Amino acid sequence: MEPLIRVRDLCKDYRLTDRREGVRGGLQDLVRPRRRDLRAVDRVSFDIPPGEMVGYIGANGAGKSTTIKMLTGILTPSSGEVEVGGMVPWRQRQQYTRHIGVVFGQRTQLWWDLAVVESFRLLKKIYEVDDDTYDRQMKLLDDLLDIGKLLSQPVRKLSLGQRMRCDLAAALLHRPRVLFLDEPTIGLDVVAKENIRAFLRGVQEREGVTVILTTHDLGDIEQLCRRVIIIDQGRVHFDGELAELRRRVGQSVRLSVDLRDAAASADLAAVTTGLPVAWDEQAGLRHVARFNRAEVRAADVIRLLVNDRPVQDLHLAEQPIEEVVREIYRQAAAGNAGQPGAGAAQ
Amino acid sequence: MENTTPGTDATRFAFRDDRSRGARIAWQARIFGAYFVQFLKMRLAYRVDFVIDTLAVLFSLVIQLAVLGVMFSKVRALDGWTYPQVLFIYGFSLVPLGLFNLISVNLYGFADEYLVGGRFDRVLLRPVGSLAQVIFESFNVSGLSEIALGLAIMAGAGLKLGADFGVTDLLALLVLAPGAALVYLGVFLGITTVSFWFEDKMGLAPPVYNLIRFSRYPITIYSLPVRVFLTFVLPFAWVAFYPAAWFVGGERFGKVALLTPLVGVLVFGGAALLWRRGVRNYVSTGS
Repeated sequence: MEPLIRVRDLCKDYRLTDRREGVRGGLQDLVRPRRRDLRAVDRVSFDIPPGEMVGYIGANGAGKSTTIKMLTGILTPSSGEVEVGGMVPWRQRQQYTRHIGVVFGQRTQLWWDLAVVESFRLLKKIYEVDDDTYDRQMKLLDDLLDIGKLLSQPVRKLSLGQRMRCDLAAALLHRPRVLFLDEPTIGLDVVAKENIRAFLRGVQEREGVTVILTTHDLGDIEQLCRRVIIIDQGRVHFDGELAELRRRVGQSVRLSVDLRDAAASADLAAVTTGLPVAWDEQAGLRHVARFNRAEVRAADVIRLLVNDRPVQDLHLAEQPIEEVVREIYRQAAAGNAGQPGAGAAQ
Repeated sequence: MENTTPGTDATRFAFRDDRSRGARIAWQARIFGAYFVQFLKMRLAYRVDFVIDTLAVLFSLVIQLAVLGVMFSKVRALDGWTYPQVLFIYGFSLVPLGLFNLISVNLYGFADEYLVGGRFDRVLLRPVGSLAQVIFESFNVSGLSEIALGLAIMAGAGLKLGADFGVTDLLALLVLAPGAALVYLGVFLGITTVSFWFEDKMGLAPPVYNLIRFSRYPITIYSLPVRVFLTFVLPFAWVAFYPAAWFVGGERFGKVALLTPLVGVLVFGGAALLWRRGVRNYVSTGS
């Protein structure tokens, strides 16, 4: 299918001025500033078909937010192309922004001093939402986000979680086709996070909204996105399905074993000789084995163990995605996966 | 999936700019009308602040009036300009200044609040002009009292002058005062726009704002370089003296006054173009 979002060789350079110290340095800065370019986003390319929910992840300063800001029309790229729904965001900003919804977790999009409902009414005017649609959306959003009680309060009096719910509602009031979420669960407690995730899943399923989500919280990704794009130092290091990411990184399964009698990990390694299984270096009753599901069947490992010695308990878990991403970074740093676009799914 | 706008397929957004220019302007005017109503509601919640602000402005204006009065109690005329004439020019100057003050508060804090504080991101995410949003997001209501006082002073000075103003003069006021306000807006918008490229650490706006006071006197009292400066370089002569000359300037300046709206459109238009380039150059804050 034709992509809804099309990004090609997108770059953004920031011009930084290094400040010198002291009065003399200040004068030098004035006359001959020391400038250098920092490439925040480096030849990023991807396509996103309509209705997909994509996780866009990376460490602080990896270029996530800069990418989102170019996709939403806030920043003008240094070079490269972006087309969303056939529009160029920064060139057709006023037309384009009618079709998108944006939530920045760190900053509210609402008017700080106004009651929430007043903000919504202004947005209704700005996006020219007709009365019927407005009433229906408000009812729906209240059902899902439980914002009815918050409407009469000024935004500045809301808690972070309440504010985030209102921000989400505000971003969806005009029924956008694309939703950009920059750290939507940052700073929220577990329950609030869960609510927001459930809401996003619902919206995406019901309305078929296309969603790009940046986050630190890999729980968001695991629960919401099939596809992830990993960015580091401005470059795409991985673009594909979450499952594919696990496969590529390797040891995607952790098997915890509780033994009846203490043993050294070397003993257990001896039991699974011939299979590509790595045992964490430790002694005692509890041990951890890591292996790749594509290469080894968990059942085989378990059978070998149980046949060899008495086992109290077994626990099989997917590797936490934090480790997966760390591994991708490590590979990138080692130059194994350093080529942009390597492993791209499409 | 149901589309919000009919006639679009899954991967193309509908381009909805089928409205006429006039309709677009009317639509935006309605939005900013709503902004103003919201602002008033908010301000009225802090009634005491509101009253104190208004009193402070009136007080400073009374002081300035007193200075004029004292000056003319010593001299009969200032370079041929009589007290009522100078008073009239002063009164006129308050009307565009009030209009400008009403909508210019956000320009002063623009670099800190919008650029550094990151509020400009939000502005750019809305399908309305960015400059209009910044200007109309906050108001300085004391501008209204300046306008009222200015009109009162003009009426008083007009009576003293024995001038008989007609409908034409009223129409002229309706064109000249907004035209002069555009000159103010253009100058300070230009200064504000610089912060898209440079951090304005020294703060250009306050000293320039202080120069406004020179514009309230008949320009003929200044030496030629100052006159040229105030007419062409920092065109503050167009915010009070030239437009007011329509009413009190006689043969010599009466006609020049009519150039005011043109100067206003040129100065503001230039600043608005600079603004557009600035927006392209906008670098958001980190995160």
